[in-house]
Amino acid sequence: MRAYLSWLLIALLLVLAILAPIGQGNYITYVLTSWLVFSIAAMGLNLTLGYAGQISLAQASFMAIGAYTSALLTLAGWHWMAALVPALLLCFVVGLVLGYPALRVKGHFLAFVTLAFNTLVFLVLRNEDWLTGGNYGLSGMPRPDFGFVSTMKQHNFYYFTLAITVVAAAIMWWIVRSPWGRGFKALRENPIRAESLGVDTRRITLLAFAIGSTYGGLAGALISPLVQFIEPGSFAVGHSLRILLMVVVGGAGFFFGPFLGAGVVILLPELLRFTEGYYLIIYSALVIVMLVFTPRGLIGLWGMLRDRFFGKPQIRADVEQGPKLK
Amino acid sequence: MNRRVILALSAALLMGATAVQAQDAAKIAMVAELSGAGAPAGTNWRDGIKIAIEEINAAGGILGKQVEVSEYDTQTDPQVSRAMVQKAIDEGAFAILGTIYSGSTLVNMLVAQQNEIPQFVGSEAPTIVQKGNPFVFRTSSGSQKGVPALVPYFTDTLKAKKVAVAWVNNEFGKGGRDVFTAEMEKAGIEIVTDVPSEQGATDYASDVSKLKESGAEAVFVYMNQEEAARFLIEAKKQGLSMPLVGEVTLTEAKVIELAGGAAEGAIAHVGVTATATDIPGIAEFNEKFVAQFKRNPTHDAIKGYIGAWATKYVTEKVGEFDGAKFAETMKNLCLPVAEYPKMLLDTCWDETGEMSRPSFMVQVKDGKPVVIGTVPAN
Repeated sequence: MRAYLSWLLIALLLVLAILAPIGQGNYITYVLTSWLVFSIAAMGLNLTLGYAGQISLAQASFMAIGAYTSALLTLAGWHWMAALVPALLLCFVVGLVLGYPALRVKGHFLAFVTLAFNTLVFLVLRNEDWLTGGNYGLSGMPRPDFGFVSTMKQHNFYYFTLAITVVAAAIMWWIVRSPWGRGFKALRENPIRAESLGVDTRRITLLAFAIGSTYGGLAGALISPLVQFIEPGSFAVGHSLRILLMVVVGGAGFFFGPFLGAGVVILLPELLRFTEGYYLIIYSALVIVMLVFTPRGLIGLWGMLRDRFFGKPQIRADVEQGPKLK
Repeated sequence: MNRRVILALSAALLMGATAVQAQDAAKIAMVAELSGAGAPAGTNWRDGIKIAIEEINAAGGILGKQVEVSEYDTQTDPQVSRAMVQKAIDEGAFAILGTIYSGSTLVNMLVAQQNEIPQFVGSEAPTIVQKGNPFVFRTSSGSQKGVPALVPYFTDTLKAKKVAVAWVNNEFGKGGRDVFTAEMEKAGIEIVTDVPSEQGATDYASDVSKLKESGAEAVFVYMNQEEAARFLIEAKKQGLSMPLVGEVTLTEAKVIELAGGAAEGAIAHVGVTATATDIPGIAEFNEKFVAQFKRNPTHDAIKGYIGAWATKYVTEKVGEFDGAKFAETMKNLCLPVAEYPKMLLDTCWDETGEMSRPSFMVQVKDGKPVVIGTVPAN
C-alpha cells in the first residue's frame, strides 16, 4: 500500500513538472530549467555527502569540467550527446582521483582539500586561456538538435532537461538501493563496522566521489547549452557552497532532498523578487529559520511533524541511524 | 506552533506576488548589479536612470507615453543577468538599460539580440561590440578607445620610459591591461612589472612592494572600485611615490570615499565625470543628484542618465516603438549637445554600437576629483 502511494506521488510530481512551464514565459521556463540542472548537481553531492558521509566542497568544479568539456566539443562540431560521454568520463576519473585524499582525511580537513581543488580548477580555467578562453569564457554553444525536435526554444530545452533529469534520478534510485548504496550508508554510519562486515570501504569511498562528481559533470554539460556562455566565475567556490546549501536545506541523505533544496535556493529568491530591495534579505532570513527549525532539511520536516502528532517510536540511542552532518 | 505560523506567512507572501501593471505606458527595463560585488556601480546606474526618467516623464514621456521603469537585480551573476533580461522582455520592455559588468553583458546581450530589443550597456570590455550584435550600444567608450586616450599623458606629460601595470584579473581588467600593454609597446615604453590581482582581493601588500621595487616611473592601475580603493590604501601605507594613473575607476567618487586620504594625487582618464562642472548639463545633473540622493554621482550614474535620454531621443527619431528600426537608426548616429542637451556632451555611435565623445583627465586634489585636462573624441 505504501509503495503504491509513493509511486502515485512520484507520478503526480512528474505530471506537475511537465505542466509547470505551460503558458509561462521564457523567463519562468529558464528558471525552472536551471532548477532541474542544479537538482542534478545536488543529487550528486547528496550521494557523496548525504549517503556516503564524505563532505565535498568541489561540486561546482565538476560542473565546470563537464561544462567546459562539452562546450569545447560542441563548439568543435560534436553533437551534444556525443560530447556528453567524454565529459562524464573525465568527471568520473577526476572524481576518482579526488577521492584518494578522502581515504586519508575526514571531516573538516576533507572539506578543505576539496575546497582547494575547486580553487585549483577555477585558476586553471582562468589562466589557460588558449583552451578555455580565460576570463572571457566560451560563448555561443549550440543547443542539441535531434532531427525531429530542436531544443533551441526555451520550452523544448526544458523538456529535454526534464527527460535527462528523470533518467539521472532513476539511475540514482537504483544506485542507492543497490549493494553499493548499502555500502555507502554503511560507510557513513560506521566505517569500522562496515569494514569488518566485508565492505571494501576504500573502493566505496572512491566510488562515492566518482559517481557524485559525474552527476556534477552532467549538470555542467547541461548548463553550457542552457546559458550558452560559461566563464570561470560561474564555477567558483561560492557556487560549491550554494550546492552544499541545496543539499542541506533539502535534506541530506533523502532521495528527494536535492530537488526540494535546489527549489528553495533557485526558485525562492525569484519568487521573492516582488519585494525588490529586500528579497535577498528575506531569502537569507528564511534559510536561517528553516535550518534552525528543521536541521534535517525540509524533507525532515515531514518526519518531525509525524513524530509530533503520532508520537515518536523509541529507538536505542546507540543504533539510531540517519544522515548527519559532521 | 511558531513554525507553522512562519511557514503560513511565507506561503501567503509568495501567493500575493502578482503585481498589477499600469496599462499603456512605455516600459523600460533597468537590469543592473544592485547586489553583490557590482553594487557600487549598479546602484549609481539605477539612480542616474531614475533622475532621467523623472525628467523625461515631466517633459511628456516618450512619443506621448509616460515611461515606466522596472528594476531587475542581477546579483552580479551572469547567469542571473540572463534570466533577468529574459524576464524584462517577457514583461514587455521595449528597451533595456544595463548591465554594467562585462561578464554579465556578454551573456545577456544574446537574449536581447534574439528578441530585437535595443540595449544600452555600461560595460567597457572591447569584445562587447565585436560580436556583430546590432542591438547593443555603449554609454561610454570601450577600453580599446579609452586606454589609448591615456597614452599622450604617459609620453608627453610624464615622459615615462618604464611603467608598471596593476590590474584585476577579470574580463574587465584583462581587457584594459591587454590594450594598455599593446599601446605602450607602440609608444616605445617598457613595461617593467605586470601585477594581476584577484577580484575581491583584500591584501595588496606584496603587489605594492613588487611595484615599489620595479623601478617604474608610473603605475597604470586598472581595477574595479572596491579593489582600487584597497590598492590605494596599501600604496599610501608603503609610500609608493610614483604617479598612479588609471582609467575611469581610479578617481571615482566611490573610490575616494572608500580610500579616503589615500586617493590623494591619483590621476585617471574618464569618459565622463560629474566634476566637469564647466559643462552646464553636467553641473545641473550633479546638483539634482546630490539633492535627491545626498551623495556625489559616479560616472556610472551619468552613463545611466545618458542611456535613458538616448532611448527617448532615438525612439522619437524613429517615431514608433520598434527595436529593429531603433538599431538601424543608431548606426553612425551623432547626437550633438546643441540639439540634444541631455546627452551632456557631443556623442556619436559607430556601426558596431561603440561610442565616442570628448573625455577628461582628472586628478584627486583635497579629496575631490578635479579636471586637469580634456581629451578630444577619438
